[in-house]
Amino acid sequence: MRKCTILVVDDEPQIRRAVHHALEDDDTRVVEAANASDALTVAGAEQPELIILDLGLPDKPGIDVSRELRGWTDAPILVLSARQSDEEKVALLDAGADDYMTKPFSTVELQARVRALLRRTRTGTTNEPQVRSGALLIDLVARTAAVRGETVHLTPIEWELLRVLATQAGRTLTHRQLFSKVWSGRSSGDAQQYLRVHVAHLRRKIEDDPVRPQYIITEPGVGYRFVVQPDRE
Amino acid sequence: MTRSRWLPLLLWLGALAVATAVMLSVRSDLDKAHVTLVLLLIVLGASAAGGRTAGVTIAVMSFLVFNWFFLPPYYTFVIANPLDWLVLVAFLVTGLVAAQLLYRAQEEARIARERAAEIDRLATLGAETLSVGSAEASLRAVTEVIRNATGAARCEVYLRDSARDAGPLVEWVIATSNAAAEQRDGTVHLHASRPTEAELRALEGGSVLSLLLPLHSRERVVGVLRVENPDGLRLDRPRWRFLDAISYYAALAVERIRLVADAERAEALRETNRLKDALLAAVSHDLRTPLTTIKALAHDLGVLGDERSEIIESEADRLNRTVADLLDLSSLNAGALPVKVELNALDDLLGALGQRTESTLGSDRLKISLPAEEQLLVGRFDLVHSLRILANLVENAAKYAPDTRVEVMASREGQELVISVLDHGPGVNPQDVGRIFDAFYRSDDRPPDVGGAGLGLSIARRLAEAQGGSLSYAPRDGGGSVFTLRLPAADISETTDELLMKS
Repeated sequence: MRKCTILVVDDEPQIRRAVHHALEDDDTRVVEAANASDALTVAGAEQPELIILDLGLPDKPGIDVSRELRGWTDAPILVLSARQSDEEKVALLDAGADDYMTKPFSTVELQARVRALLRRTRTGTTNEPQVRSGALLIDLVARTAAVRGETVHLTPIEWELLRVLATQAGRTLTHRQLFSKVWSGRSSGDAQQYLRVHVAHLRRKIEDDPVRPQYIITEPGVGYRFVVQPDRE
Repeated sequence: MTRSRWLPLLLWLGALAVATAVMLSVRSDLDKAHVTLVLLLIVLGASAAGGRTAGVTIAVMSFLVFNWFFLPPYYTFVIANPLDWLVLVAFLVTGLVAAQLLYRAQEEARIARERAAEIDRLATLGAETLSVGSAEASLRAVTEVIRNATGAARCEVYLRDSARDAGPLVEWVIATSNAAAEQRDGTVHLHASRPTEAELRALEGGSVLSLLLPLHSRERVVGVLRVENPDGLRLDRPRWRFLDAISYYAALAVERIRLVADAERAEALRETNRLKDALLAAVSHDLRTPLTTIKALAHDLGVLGDERSEIIESEADRLNRTVADLLDLSSLNAGALPVKVELNALDDLLGALGQRTESTLGSDRLKISLPAEEQLLVGRFDLVHSLRILANLVENAAKYAPDTRVEVMASREGQELVISVLDHGPGVNPQDVGRIFDAFYRSDDRPPDVGGAGLGLSIARRLAEAQGGSLSYAPRDGGGSVFTLRLPAADISETTDELLMKS
């Protein structure tokens, strides 16, 4: 099996080294770029499976780099940002980035997010008939969800929410992305504000403890992310 | 004025006399029609030059002259031929009508000229006010145009906001939005809205020294226009009308000054905010980059088995929170912290709180309980800010009451969501209760206690208030603290059910 390639783009050498060190192992090769133009060149040459992109590059705004990369590659983009503006994160995700992390991040969290994003591209979850996360089993063909073998009754909107989130596990979906995918233009008016209410209902049905959610994680001010938990049964 | 009215009359009476004398000398060769035409010419001339009075006077005189000298029997007002009556009366009527028509035409021409002059002045004014660069200069231009047009010695505009030193009369005009006139005899006439006929006559007569008019813009008095002439203002009606109309333009100029000042202030504020944002972005970048490296290295140490790595990581996190606090405090102080009040479920907030505090307190130390009822609790609040408040309270509790359980309870009371964070720690010292929500920079007698609640609680309270909520403290029965966050609740049960039905 060919080694997986991850591209790290950051103008700070220490960050590049830290990320490099955290992600490199027997199956993973890490290549680096220090600015946007290098990043585009290296990405073209190496065809990485995943791109970790710092927003504060000296030569180009991160959102533009993200958009340019999206023009020709489907590789997940994980954005690193030192700023904490939610608007910026939302704009990035809407522009095609898959997930973001705010500096300073923990190495464990970085490894987990990278694993989640790679799992999605490697397995191509969308083609799998089932998504399993911990005690939750989602059958995309039968359109059912079950917790510990017990079928959960979901409304059509709740099912769509779960399906959209689960088939893009590891990816942070903004409120807007989620809304447009679930409602796909069928709704008018202020239905979008009820998105969070539907998610809360869904959580009460599938999570063991709604205040300690395992599957649907809230990214405050940004959106939601589905996490594939290891099989514990 | 008086002389100019009588002079043409005398001149045309003279002309009538001369024409009569000339025609008398050749009377035998003249037909009645010749006489009529010559006299009519004189009537028209008098009307044109001397106005209606002169025209009518000359017409009547000509009528008498015609009858006396040129209708037989001569030198009597007796008329022999009844047909001559017809000629005579026709002549009189023609003369009078011609005089009247000429007068009217001239009057219309005069009014048209005045109107043209007014439009001219307004156009000048418009050009002056719009083309002049600064708003102050345009106001000066307006007062100059008014001064020239009204023949006043002085013309001033007092702005509403800076009229304090302008005297009681100006203040009265601003307060009541009425006009006022200072008379020559020292008395002051106050007009409810517009001057009466008598007052207008006083204005024409020059017994008024100064006139104060309120300047209105959008039904609000924005300033006062004051025109003054120590020798007495002479405002005839056209000038008064002009003054009345032009005060509208003066009001616009005043309003423009205010708007320009507002715009300049806003521009300065924007620039300050932009610089501040740029500075904050640079500071947060420069502080967080090394923190990221420190955390990564600490993790590596941990992998190698160094137990101190956890301490390094948690201290780096603490430093990062302090950076975030400082940045937020500076945004709050600048009034630049965006607040996004949206419909949110309490489940979401408390779930995010569990996620956020996972690394500090596991589920064994932090107990978050939702109310027992099936119904979701929802409210209108900013999820990100509310989460920061609660995370701050929970982390404080964990710090001050180590090795005890921290509880988060939520309920709805009336139109409020009530979320309480309870601990079993030592509680807050009674003499400090009044100060725990003060930011540390305000207390001089205490060293900055960054690790303590000094900064976080003050930010938490301000974040709560920024979204229409509140944050309060109470001692807990049996020891410990209760911090209570109240947020606006929302009612969506019906709508949600409808949505669920539809979906």
